Amino acid sequence: MEQAVKDVFNQGAARANAAYQMGRRRFTVEPITRLEGHGKIDIFLDDKGDVERAYMQVPELRGFEVFSIGRPAEDMPQITSRICGVCPTAHHMASVKCLDDLYKVEPTSPGRKIRELVYNGFLFEDHALHVFVLGGPDFIVGPEAPPAERNIVGVIGKVGLEAGKRVITMRRRVRELTAYFGGKVVHPVLGLPGGVSKPLDPADLPKFKQLAKDAVEFAEWTVDVLKKIVLGNPEYVKMITSDAYTHKTCYMGMVDEQNRLNFYDGKLRVVDCNGKEICKFTPHEYRDYVAEHVEPWSYMKFTFLKPRGWMDFVEGPDTSVYSVAPLARLNAADGLGTPKAQAALEEFFKALGGKPVHHTLANHLARAIEMIFAAERMEQLVNDPEITSPDVRRIPTSVPKEGIGVVEAPRGTLFHHYQTDERGLITMANLIVATQNNAARIAMSVERAAKGLIKGGKVTEGLLNKVEMAFRAYDPCLGCATHSLPGHLPLSVNIYDRDRTLVRRLEQP
Amino acid sequence: MSIPYIMDNATSFAAPRTEPAGQRILVLGLGNDILCDDAIGLRVVREVRRRLRPDEEIEVEETEEMGLCLLDYISGYRGLVLVDSIQRGTLPAGEIHEIRADDLRTLSYSAPHFLGIGETLALGRELGLPMPDMIRILAIEVEEPHLLSTEMTPPLQRALPDLVQRVLTTARGLAEQR
Repeated sequence: MEQAVKDVFNQGAARANAAYQMGRRRFTVEPITRLEGHGKIDIFLDDKGDVERAYMQVPELRGFEVFSIGRPAEDMPQITSRICGVCPTAHHMASVKCLDDLYKVEPTSPGRKIRELVYNGFLFEDHALHVFVLGGPDFIVGPEAPPAERNIVGVIGKVGLEAGKRVITMRRRVRELTAYFGGKVVHPVLGLPGGVSKPLDPADLPKFKQLAKDAVEFAEWTVDVLKKIVLGNPEYVKMITSDAYTHKTCYMGMVDEQNRLNFYDGKLRVVDCNGKEICKFTPHEYRDYVAEHVEPWSYMKFTFLKPRGWMDFVEGPDTSVYSVAPLARLNAADGLGTPKAQAALEEFFKALGGKPVHHTLANHLARAIEMIFAAERMEQLVNDPEITSPDVRRIPTSVPKEGIGVVEAPRGTLFHHYQTDERGLITMANLIVATQNNAARIAMSVERAAKGLIKGGKVTEGLLNKVEMAFRAYDPCLGCATHSLPGHLPLSVNIYDRDRTLVRRLEQP
Repeated sequence: MSIPYIMDNATSFAAPRTEPAGQRILVLGLGNDILCDDAIGLRVVREVRRRLRPDEEIEVEETEEMGLCLLDYISGYRGLVLVDSIQRGTLPAGEIHEIRADDLRTLSYSAPHFLGIGETLALGRELGLPMPDMIRILAIEVEEPHLLSTEMTPPLQRALPDLVQRVLTTARGLAEQR
């Protein structure tokens, strides 16, 4: 766009925005400060000092579409895997599937199996990181433990040094699997339209068979640890099932022909808060089912179920708010296709009062069950005779136009959608990332936590931690790929009185 | 419209090291090539690598990874110079905040997603991995780390030569300490 046109457009947008704000008579939240990548929660109190609304804002990447336009579509798996240092393999895989669709080429069967093997390995590794390192402090160490212990060293103190080493070693071995095919761990060059870049050498198969076997065992051990520490503690169970952390929304997840969970491919199934299927759609139909809602206080677009229309941040059988990620996937599928994971799944629903489970904090347990599932899928795939076939790629011949690719990323459903000209140069690129699919429910969780902890202007101690726990369970991808020190995302909470005057500011020490 | 080919500067992404690095010093650049100023850590160490003489006991690595994965890079070295970006607003873009390893919140429970450098070092020590004794953290103030772009902002481009020199001097200083 010409600069002059851009300026006029921006001025118009600013005026429209100001008019909208006036119309709503709502306090305008300052744009988020990006200093040190703060996440910010603004809480607005009413006359009585109770919470009227609470909003969460996070820094966001900008310029993705502009950056992509004009580039060869084949660059997209590399570009998109670079925009996120947290789940690069998920972007890589969604992007490669999008290229298959763009070039109308079906990957060869061995090529597809290698992709699935690597993808399940990635899911397993990423989940392990969350269970032990990021979510672990909340559960394995405990929400009431002194702050100085609520960290990875505290987790190791609880599960034992040997177990800690086991966690680190297991993750490293799985990452070596990605590196074997992708050349590198963090931004793999693995998938190509129609297949993958490298076959599995039969000579290397035994070590991957051993890895898959060990991964299954490790995942079962992980579920056992959580079962003992979390489900074995009535206080934890009470907290998980408390109203503060419960929302009755719809759930989305990818399923195979038998409605069983599949991380890599399938249709998207949505169930309502009673577990009843509302819709099931192919990636190509996503625009008929998923729409985006904009709020004046956030950069984030909140996705909702399009056939139901946006109904605000509400829950119940008719809500159009849905969520994604481990708990949502287990709720949306009819089961898991592998025996050990299926057994763990049944136990999970039994322990938490039946399906669907609406307790946000149960995501941590759901994540561990998905680790078993991913490991068992790896085991199935490495024992598949086709896995060492050299026939790993089909060369595309069609003229490209439009492609859509979807996978289940660790944090939930991830959509990639590109259009190109006949030379395969990008003319449109759109992503809907997992955290966006969860954004409405995350906003509800943050507000719920705030409402429960602030009454009559009094702020209950531990507010920040409780609010954080609510959104940490979703494992939201807040930080994009910037590495800026201090290397994590500090959170601040601002509390404003009814006159919109800042009365308190809470920050982690 | 000219579009830089993004793989030009593809990093090596070395596999986790298995043999001990002994007495060597590691210069580790962190950042993201396609996020404007967030590339600074990578750009600086690439230039440092070019300028090192073969006989110097200094190795250079760069990565777009973060958190726990950094353990694989830093374990086994005697000294570490970490080059990263920061946005604090207290210095002009292109200037360096030298952060002492002790000053990093060594253990934080506030990380919703990442494991910071401080936590990573503490974890490595807890697990009995050989962690570097000497650590220098050079965090470069940046202007724009959230925009997808392969080009850094002018202040960062201008600062590059000085930054390279500063990192080289720091790394050589560590190499001389016995």
